[in-house]
Amino acid sequence: MKERFRALDPRLLWVLLALIALGTLTLYSAGRNTAQSGIWLKQSLWNLMGMFLMLLLATTDPRRIFRYSFPAYLLGLVALVAVLVVGRKIGGATRWFVVAGQTFQPSELMKWVTLLYLSHRLGSRPPDTVGRLELVGAVGLVVFPMLLIQRQPDLGMALSFLPILLIIPLMKGLRARWVVALLLLVGVGGFGAWKFALKPYQKQRVLIFLDPSSDLQGKGYQVNQSRIAIGSGGLIGKGFTSGSQTQLNFLPVKTTDFAFSVWAEERGFLGVLLALGLFGLLLNRILDAARAAHTNAQAYFCAGAAGIFSLHLLVNVGMVAGALPNKGMVLPFFSAGGSSTLSFFLALGLIMGILHHSRVK
Amino acid sequence: MDPRQRPLLRRRLGVFRVLTWGLVALLVVVYAWLQLVRHSEFKLLAMQQAVKVRPIPAPRGLVLDRNGQRLVDNRRALHLVIQREDLPTRTEVVTALAESLSLDPAALAKKIQSYRLAGKGHPLVLKENLDEFGIALAERVRARYPFLSVEVAPRRVYLGDELAGHVLGYVGEVDEPMMKAKPDLYHLGETIGKEGFEASGNDKLKGVDGQKRILVDQLGTEVANFGQVDAAAGRSLFLTLDAGLQQVAQEALGQEAGAVVVLDLRDGGVLAMYSGPSYDPNLFLNRLSQDMVDRYLANNLTRPMVNRPIQGIYAPGSTFKLLVALAALEKGIVTPQTQIYCAGKKNYYGRDFRCDKLTGHGVLSMVQAIAQSCDVYFYELASRLDIDDIHATAEKYGLTERTGIDLPQEKRTRIPSRAWKRKAVPKDPKWYAGETISVGIGQGAVGVTPLGLARFYALLATKGKLLTPHLFYGFRDDQSNSLELAPAPPPKDTALDPRIWSILDEGLYEVVNGPHGTARASALKDITMVGKTGTAQVATFVDRAHYSRQAKSLKDHALFAGYAPREKPQIAFVVVVENAGFGATSAAPIAQKLVQYWFLDRPLRPLPPPRGRMVDPFAPQPREEAE
Repeated sequence: MKERFRALDPRLLWVLLALIALGTLTLYSAGRNTAQSGIWLKQSLWNLMGMFLMLLLATTDPRRIFRYSFPAYLLGLVALVAVLVVGRKIGGATRWFVVAGQTFQPSELMKWVTLLYLSHRLGSRPPDTVGRLELVGAVGLVVFPMLLIQRQPDLGMALSFLPILLIIPLMKGLRARWVVALLLLVGVGGFGAWKFALKPYQKQRVLIFLDPSSDLQGKGYQVNQSRIAIGSGGLIGKGFTSGSQTQLNFLPVKTTDFAFSVWAEERGFLGVLLALGLFGLLLNRILDAARAAHTNAQAYFCAGAAGIFSLHLLVNVGMVAGALPNKGMVLPFFSAGGSSTLSFFLALGLIMGILHHSRVK
Repeated sequence: MDPRQRPLLRRRLGVFRVLTWGLVALLVVVYAWLQLVRHSEFKLLAMQQAVKVRPIPAPRGLVLDRNGQRLVDNRRALHLVIQREDLPTRTEVVTALAESLSLDPAALAKKIQSYRLAGKGHPLVLKENLDEFGIALAERVRARYPFLSVEVAPRRVYLGDELAGHVLGYVGEVDEPMMKAKPDLYHLGETIGKEGFEASGNDKLKGVDGQKRILVDQLGTEVANFGQVDAAAGRSLFLTLDAGLQQVAQEALGQEAGAVVVLDLRDGGVLAMYSGPSYDPNLFLNRLSQDMVDRYLANNLTRPMVNRPIQGIYAPGSTFKLLVALAALEKGIVTPQTQIYCAGKKNYYGRDFRCDKLTGHGVLSMVQAIAQSCDVYFYELASRLDIDDIHATAEKYGLTERTGIDLPQEKRTRIPSRAWKRKAVPKDPKWYAGETISVGIGQGAVGVTPLGLARFYALLATKGKLLTPHLFYGFRDDQSNSLELAPAPPPKDTALDPRIWSILDEGLYEVVNGPHGTARASALKDITMVGKTGTAQVATFVDRAHYSRQAKSLKDHALFAGYAPREKPQIAFVVVVENAGFGATSAAPIAQKLVQYWFLDRPLRPLPPPRGRMVDPFAPQPREEAE
């Protein structure tokens, strides 16, 4: 057993435990005196369960895991189709399976499975033998589940697949013309999405992001209250469980999307520095893993994982500060939620396994 | 791994690492901007939405009758309100809100606009006096519009319902013209008296609002109180009204339209003032529905909004003969002994003027003429008097002015004169002598308010004292619950000749107690009531048969005015019953009931205090039947 625990990378583990502690405190404060007063406990159960899964994966040879990536990817696609058919509709979106009273969101895990499969597919051969056509096919493999997810609809989740594509510049390098092409793609894609793909409420979010004061009572309300919470926290914060915005319920959805605002209000800028510093160390260590990885596939996976974590960090932390559009993207270890928590731990478990095995060999 | 690949991959991963830390740094900058640079701005915003200063409405003073029985009480009530700082801006929100509360969207939008312009002050009240259904509705609507709040505030309860509706009046929200007239005194959303004594006594009854600084949550619910200045309740006060006598008046008038006034002869205090049909002030307490009630009541044919004792103008009929007699005696045209012959009718200026008794009264002296209400006798007096003489006498005895009662919108009694006709009828400004003949029996252009007439009979009862009728009796000492009497307005002396007075008094005595008196059926055994009947024509008829076929609205108004007891008068009264026929048969019996109660029954059988509908949302309440 002791051997097994040795598989957990200590530098990653400490950062992780610190972030979990911060997140649990935040959820305790956010749920206080509301119907969700037990949410910190429930989230702690998810965390424990996640750490167990992490331990399991960390002790497994990563190569064995990569071998199962293709069937897992197919299974994931089936799940995404199935959720559109038999999923539970909550708040106008069909994103969840309901199993034994627990909701489960297949797209959370699918993100990591897609990354796993793509890393495996592109990393199993020398990079210069991978042709352009194959690269286009790889992009298709990412875009296809994204489209299925956008059917739910869940734009935030769909966008969180994009960092997977970071694998391509990692293996092929990035030329100036590629950057230009990418910018063009984003421009045209953005215009096309605005015209054809985005739902009205999604468009409205973008519009309100551009001018939050236009709708203080409606959609802009959430971000506005979040900014007030963050700004009023000041340097040292209002104190644990003493944030007026949080405790008087001015702050909306404070146990999920806006959990970081709770931390920022009650712990202030110093608390924010601490949390962002920890996230920085986490990403740093994941990139260490990419560097140490034995195979290209493992390196790609770690780099992609760093990208996904970064995107979550950027979009959530930026969104609650009003610096980015109000997009439903959770913040790892802060936002409550079973599927996302388990997925993050699974990913970290694999990364730890990669680190462990790079040392062992 | 391919060793050639390694350095390349590492270099690219190095770029990733830089980008990652750059991202973290970017977020740090964003948060430093919000939390350090703009901290004070957001701190203020956070405080502004969590810490609120709310007014604490002061309860108005209670209104009691002269015996301390409550006529107007306060109850705690729940109101659905929007606090000033939470007023919605978007039209869709306002419209949807109005619909879910079944209010007029345009009116609500206008109201919200005016509240927003007015800045600080009372919250906007959407629904007042919520009952259990109202509370359920409010909670439902509040779930969708969290800026609504439910507030506990005192409300008025008029305990007698319709007992003294016109006297008490009702309260409502201050309107724009009033606020413009006295901007320092009234604030938007404030409750003030709108009618009756609530209006005229508003400054006495209203308290001083307090305020509190509270911490609220997102739903506007009070979480903590940082301190408050308590509201000072308005002072409770006594009215001169006697609830028991008022009830007798109400019951005696029954369903008839008309007016009853009883004055206290010591100081002019109004003991009873009832206007039929009455209204229930409790119906006016809902602000936004008030316009509808107003419109309905104002359009009602029986005109229940008119306070007949001070706003109804009636031809006084024979009750006016006392003034004509007074004018004639003062002028010396006749003496009390002068005999005049009544043949049932008499011709003046080529026109026959009929007496009520078609067979004629024969030869009459003044006392007999008053007792039997002979018209010919007073035609004759009028023919020897000038209209301006009658006007001058009326003016001397205060009949041409407003009585000055402490109620709003009192009308002035109309006693014609040449000057009056020039002004009132510019098309035909000349005064015709024939018109004076009609005035002699209280017809024609004469119009009195029942209260004005009562004041004149009070003057007769007090041998010439001109009283000012009033309702304000005194303040209540809230500790001892006792009356702090307010000084009554002082009476004026009119130098009424005691010899002339005794003739008039004699005549009034004979009307009720004489063998031929018109109101002898209403005489009381144990107390000497005196008075004069009156029957005021509403329309002209060919003969009695024709009259009896007419619709009720064309029938004569019945009047009775007098005082009691004769030996040492204590009360004066006027009864008017619209379209009821003869004063002797319709009005005098009501006066008899008043006197009977006041002097004989009251000490033995005081009536119970008024009991109105008690709407108290805090008390369990039986379900009302659907209408």
